[in-house]
Amino acid sequence: MTIAGFGALTLVVCVAAPLVGATAIHLSRVFDRTIPFADNVDAQVFFVARLPRVLAAILVGSSLAVAGVVFQAFLRNPLASPDTLGLSTGATLGAVIVITFHIDTAVLGISAVPIASFLGAAIALGIVYAMSIARRHGTSTTVLLLAGVALSAFFGALNRLIQVLGDFTDTFRSIRWMMGSLDVGSYTDVVVSFVPIAAALVAVATLPRVLDLVSLGAAAAESRGVDVRRAERLALVSASVLTGSAVSLGGPIPFVGIIVPHIVRLIVGADHRLVLPAAALFGGTFLVLCDLLARTVFGAGGMPVGAVTALLGGPFFLWLLFRRFR
Amino acid sequence: MAAVPQVPMRRRAAWLVVAAVAALASGWSAKALAERSSTADEYARLKPSRFEDAHRIISIIPATTEMLFAMGAGDRLVAVGSYDRFPAAVEQLPRVGALLDPNVERILSLRPDLVILYGTQSDLRTQLDRARVAYFPYVHRGLPDITATIRALGDRVGVAAAATGLADAIDKQLGDVRARVAGAARPKTLLVFGRETGTLRNIEASGGVGFLHDMLEAAGGVDVLADLKQQSVTLSTEVVLARAPEVIIELRYARGDTTAASDLRAWNALASVPAVKNRRVLLLQGEEFVVPGPRVGAATERMARALHPERFK
Amino acid sequence: MTLLEANDVSFEYERGGARVLDRVSLRVPRGGIVGLLGPNGSGKTTLLRLLSGTLAPASGGVVLDGRSIAAMPRREIARRIAVVPQETHSAFDFTALEIVMMGRYPHLGAFELEGGADLAIAREALAATGTTALQARRFATLSGGEKQRVVIASALAQASDVLLLDEPTASLDLGFQLDVAALLARLNTERGVTMVVSTHDLNLAAALCGSLVMLRAGHVIAAGDTRSVLTSCNVRALYGVDAEVVHHPRARHLTVVPLARAE
Repeated sequence: MTIAGFGALTLVVCVAAPLVGATAIHLSRVFDRTIPFADNVDAQVFFVARLPRVLAAILVGSSLAVAGVVFQAFLRNPLASPDTLGLSTGATLGAVIVITFHIDTAVLGISAVPIASFLGAAIALGIVYAMSIARRHGTSTTVLLLAGVALSAFFGALNRLIQVLGDFTDTFRSIRWMMGSLDVGSYTDVVVSFVPIAAALVAVATLPRVLDLVSLGAAAAESRGVDVRRAERLALVSASVLTGSAVSLGGPIPFVGIIVPHIVRLIVGADHRLVLPAAALFGGTFLVLCDLLARTVFGAGGMPVGAVTALLGGPFFLWLLFRRFR
Repeated sequence: MAAVPQVPMRRRAAWLVVAAVAALASGWSAKALAERSSTADEYARLKPSRFEDAHRIISIIPATTEMLFAMGAGDRLVAVGSYDRFPAAVEQLPRVGALLDPNVERILSLRPDLVILYGTQSDLRTQLDRARVAYFPYVHRGLPDITATIRALGDRVGVAAAATGLADAIDKQLGDVRARVAGAARPKTLLVFGRETGTLRNIEASGGVGFLHDMLEAAGGVDVLADLKQQSVTLSTEVVLARAPEVIIELRYARGDTTAASDLRAWNALASVPAVKNRRVLLLQGEEFVVPGPRVGAATERMARALHPERFK
Repeated sequence: MTLLEANDVSFEYERGGARVLDRVSLRVPRGGIVGLLGPNGSGKTTLLRLLSGTLAPASGGVVLDGRSIAAMPRREIARRIAVVPQETHSAFDFTALEIVMMGRYPHLGAFELEGGADLAIAREALAATGTTALQARRFATLSGGEKQRVVIASALAQASDVLLLDEPTASLDLGFQLDVAALLARLNTERGVTMVVSTHDLNLAAALCGSLVMLRAGHVIAAGDTRSVLTSCNVRALYGVDAEVVHHPRARHLTVVPLARAE
């Protein structure tokens, strides 16, 4: 399947998804201009409840998938994900702090939780990166990985500690946030996240060849003319902006950053000039579909989208491991 | 690669799946069975045949703490739980944890003769059994359980008369409210007790069971989620639009929360919902809406005033 | 005419730590093959990394065609110097052709894609290394010898003047060892590729290299023409092994026969 094929799939899914859901709506009513918007339930369901949700899913899915590809190439590990370097945990910590200590101030119409989670991811990246370039000769992927694992564990522990400090409702809210939710209900969040995500995607679009070379090792890449240190900086910062934006928009939705790059590679091969655009497209499609399941199949309460991706992703991940290590 | 024998692996996997499903099914049916007996039955079953009045009580549950104070037995409390806030006297008492993190050492060091705990805290119960400390398991599902608990607790502690008086007063208060709103049109109401500030994400609302639902019914409203037999339901904006409640009541328990009123603006995004169109998105603040305790009568009345202001002139 | 030279380079992996290389100098004549010999830990790989510009020396410098490589941008160095490492691991399922095409990177502009000419060069490199039949195969599934030849093809695709090889025959069986040695000799005579080959295999060095540099504990203990440097005295000094060095009539180059550990 070519990139064009992925593109067509994405288009079809994104056009169809707002039309499908637990509530029956009629397309004719949705676009009926004679009914005032405030009275048109079908239009409200389409334009307020579902469409922003689909757009958010595309942004989040795309970002997480592309970040996953970048991390997997630079860490030379097909099992790496946006959380291998502790970024999602850092983002979660930011959100949990804001929720527990009731820092409910909003900035320019954006509530504090997304801002704090973005900062959390940025701080995590800063720490991991600083630790790894403390060595003289560029970063070492081993040090990056170990630093990420340690930071993830540390931030995770801080998360739990802070939740204990809060009261029951705050803890519940934190847990809910951690399961992910794309129900944004407005276009503000989507537009605000679009800017950093688009910028980061453009930056990553300059890197496909570099990702190919770097996946053979830093020395192998350098001997073919790649300025590994500069490329690494650009790649890690871009991937972190993608992860931070995605997590602040939709919560730390798991497994998208691991599954999608793998499925895509199984279809288009290892060349990053194909893998990157395919991952961007398929990541969005995948999450739109998972969210569709989450809001349609499980009754009025629905299920958190993170639970659906985990239900699909967990067994898939085990299968991948099984295949790789038998 | 050498051929790996596939069949034994698959059979093992199949057994694992069967075992997992069996475990889930048995757990689920046990839960279902447990819920069928009533609160009063449970208290009757658990009441020891012989007991003495309690004078050194520890209550880790905000509801029972309030009940004890309201029954005039507040001076018998030697410690309370982490989340207890009312009345002000609890601030002087030591705290020993709550549902998830009871501090057993502290509890035992205070030499209580009665510990009020959640019925589900089996670990704590085992430890208290071993230490031969009596306990009162608190079970709560709906509005009627509040007065049942007050009576049973008063009986156990030794202030049965005060307890009966309190329970009767609450029953009367509730009856009065029901009478006031009788015959009025009952609006379809969405009772929201949690969501992410500034957005409409992760809306937590009351379903068709539980004391909030019962309070709403008593206050003259109809729970728009009454068909969902859960205490708490997480809603998406689509479901809110589809269910089109006529009134939305948001419950916030922190009295000092000043931003709550302006935060109601978030609902304006759902313009087609009758509650938004007719500006019937209401805010009720106070712990009495979170704690199913003796103030439930006052809480129900406040809710009724919000729903049917014309009946309270 | 010296194409590549290291002048008095020193290197230590940690500041103030042990010196891996201490004032080493090395000259690589244009069109020549220089063998780099030495026991494990003598600093051979480090020296190759300094020559390719991957590492910067603590003192001294590396000069390529009269210019210091410290001043050259990485891409330019890659167009002139290619490296064949000891091992290549691919984390992903690239095909052999894709690995070879990666060698064209230094010749592409910022957003340029590989064109027909690049593909032709890659195909030619595959043919030169006898790996054309492997081009669609997954690199990870190839045998050690096949992998090594594909990596050499990738280095060839870089169309560089200099090839640095780090123990190119280390994990190969006897047959592939001869194949690679013959390939390198052919590349040198037919295309004039200048090479520096680091190896443990004294016989390979004797067969392939016009001059030798012997490195022990970060110091050069002997350097020069193969015939004059490869003596049993030097072998004993380098490896602590008593060996006989004879000229083999049928092989037409020196042969080293190890006898016993020296006292």
